[in-house]
Amino acid sequence: MTLVIIRTAIIFFTLLLLMRLMGKRQIGEMQPFELVITLLIAELICIPMADTSIPLLYGVVSVVTIFILHGLVMLADLKLKPLKSLISGKPSLVINKNGIDDYQLKKNNLDVTDLIGSLRAAGYFSLDGVNYALYESNGTFSALPREDYEAAQDSLPLVIIDNGCFDEKNLAVAGLSRPFFEDVLRRQGVKTHKRVLVMTADGTGKIYLQIKGEKYRTFRVSYPGGRTW
Amino acid sequence: MVRSLLGIFLAVLLLCGAAVFETRYVDAQFSAFGGEIESLAQKVEGERAEPSDAEAVRRSWETRKSSLHVWIPHNDISRVDDILAEAAGLIAEENFPLAAAKLEVLRSICRTVPGTYRPLLENIF
Repeated sequence: MTLVIIRTAIIFFTLLLLMRLMGKRQIGEMQPFELVITLLIAELICIPMADTSIPLLYGVVSVVTIFILHGLVMLADLKLKPLKSLISGKPSLVINKNGIDDYQLKKNNLDVTDLIGSLRAAGYFSLDGVNYALYESNGTFSALPREDYEAAQDSLPLVIIDNGCFDEKNLAVAGLSRPFFEDVLRRQGVKTHKRVLVMTADGTGKIYLQIKGEKYRTFRVSYPGGRTW
Repeated sequence: MVRSLLGIFLAVLLLCGAAVFETRYVDAQFSAFGGEIESLAQKVEGERAEPSDAEAVRRSWETRKSSLHVWIPHNDISRVDDILAEAAGLIAEENFPLAAAKLEVLRSICRTVPGTYRPLLENIF
């Protein structure tokens, strides 16, 4: 028991020293290689800490090796621009003035639902409330709102069609039917819902519609029975 | 920037120095211990070994292992402890054939253990 306590203390102080040398980035927003390093250090430290048959030196050497690798990768990230995008990745512009860039979403293994969730977390509830939106290389989301974005957000938009499929749950929440929206699409010149990247509807009748490969459009409809939410 | 480079350079120097030292030190320790085992094994094969010979080898091993604990897993050291203790007991009972077998195992350990810590492909994977 005493051995484990002493070994843990030695590892703790070694780790603390290395974390201080690595700087605040290790505990703030992390680049991918920083996340790898953070995960690795936790794994490397656990084993010699608890297993007294393994020399403590193995844990210390592993962590010092990680420190060296971190330093080298940081230098490459700062000084060699071509390597920077390889090591850290590049920001992805997922919403531009034409609407959602589906290619960028797919490249980042994201879908429209993830994008809408990120927008909501950033405080924007309408897809047409922002001019631009990006996923940064460290995974954080940032958006540039339209000047009148507050006016564009007066009711909660529900996703009615996501990548060609109707969202039955949201249809039930809205109290509206598939035939109603299929009729809306026909009037917009869209023959089938499978060509729709995203369609949202809010409680005031505002529809956001983006066909795959086309610019988005917004328009208003009247819901049957004067329904609102 | 300069501080980062200096830190990396010093850490690399330290690690490389420690790695070279470890390889040479473990080699030297097991080489010397292997020599002692060889001498004891020859006496056992000639049925001339005394319990004091085995005890001398054990005392030498006790001195070596206190520093080897820092460099190699304790399980490897425990293995040598166990087999050496068995060999010493068999020598005390004058059971020389079995003692010779145990010493042969120790010879093999002295040859193979240092190799398991060298930077070779089979050791890396």
